[in-house]
Amino acid sequence: MMEIGRICVKIAGRDAGEKCVIVDILDDNYVLVDGQVRRRKCNIAHLEPVAETIKLKKNASHEAVASEFKKLGIEIKERKSKPKKERPKKIRGREKKEKEKAGKPRKSKKMPAKAEEGIESKVGGRTEKAPAKSGKKSK
Amino acid sequence: MPAPKLRSRSLRRVYRKVPGGRTVLHYRKQKSKTGHCALCGAVLKGIPRKRPSMMRKLSKAEKRPSRPYGGNLCTRCMRKKMIEKARA
Repeated sequence: MMEIGRICVKIAGRDAGEKCVIVDILDDNYVLVDGQVRRRKCNIAHLEPVAETIKLKKNASHEAVASEFKKLGIEIKERKSKPKKERPKKIRGREKKEKEKAGKPRKSKKMPAKAEEGIESKVGGRTEKAPAKSGKKSK
Repeated sequence: MPAPKLRSRSLRRVYRKVPGGRTVLHYRKQKSKTGHCALCGAVLKGIPRKRPSMMRKLSKAEKRPSRPYGGNLCTRCMRKKMIEKARA
């Protein structure tokens, strides 16, 4: 009953009730299964065979299984793995202290510099704006 | 005599051994009932016995097994049901 190409229904676990096909026979108790379920090793006791069979090669790829399932009218939801995001690296211990030390003086240096720049730009902005506007009008 | 509010059975009673050696009666809030299989009545595993307010704080995966009929049927009954469906 349990041969390659036999369609089964999983009766245990989170994939219970989903249809699958035996792709490979691993040993007396275990088979490799693919289809609506995740491609995985599966205990025969967790499978209920159905009358239908598919012609499949041993160790057939997921694409081959999916195309055969389409012919039977069984839909397979493709599960795409999400692209891995880079996690923000946690800084601990000595590195953190060093970074804090390095970060503080920079801020204190920048703050007065910014203030000075701001004043200058305000003063300069007024003077600059007038010629710029006139230049646009002339064009 | 315990206080009137403690004389009813709305709080459950727990015997605690105190460091001094005495056993003391403590009053705790009632636990919720265990989940039972809808077909055979067996006690369901993987369902926490917490108060409703605490159940609300749990994630969905923590409240019941993540399989079809999880939290409703026991595994045996679920498998029987799946086999029946496959054969029908």
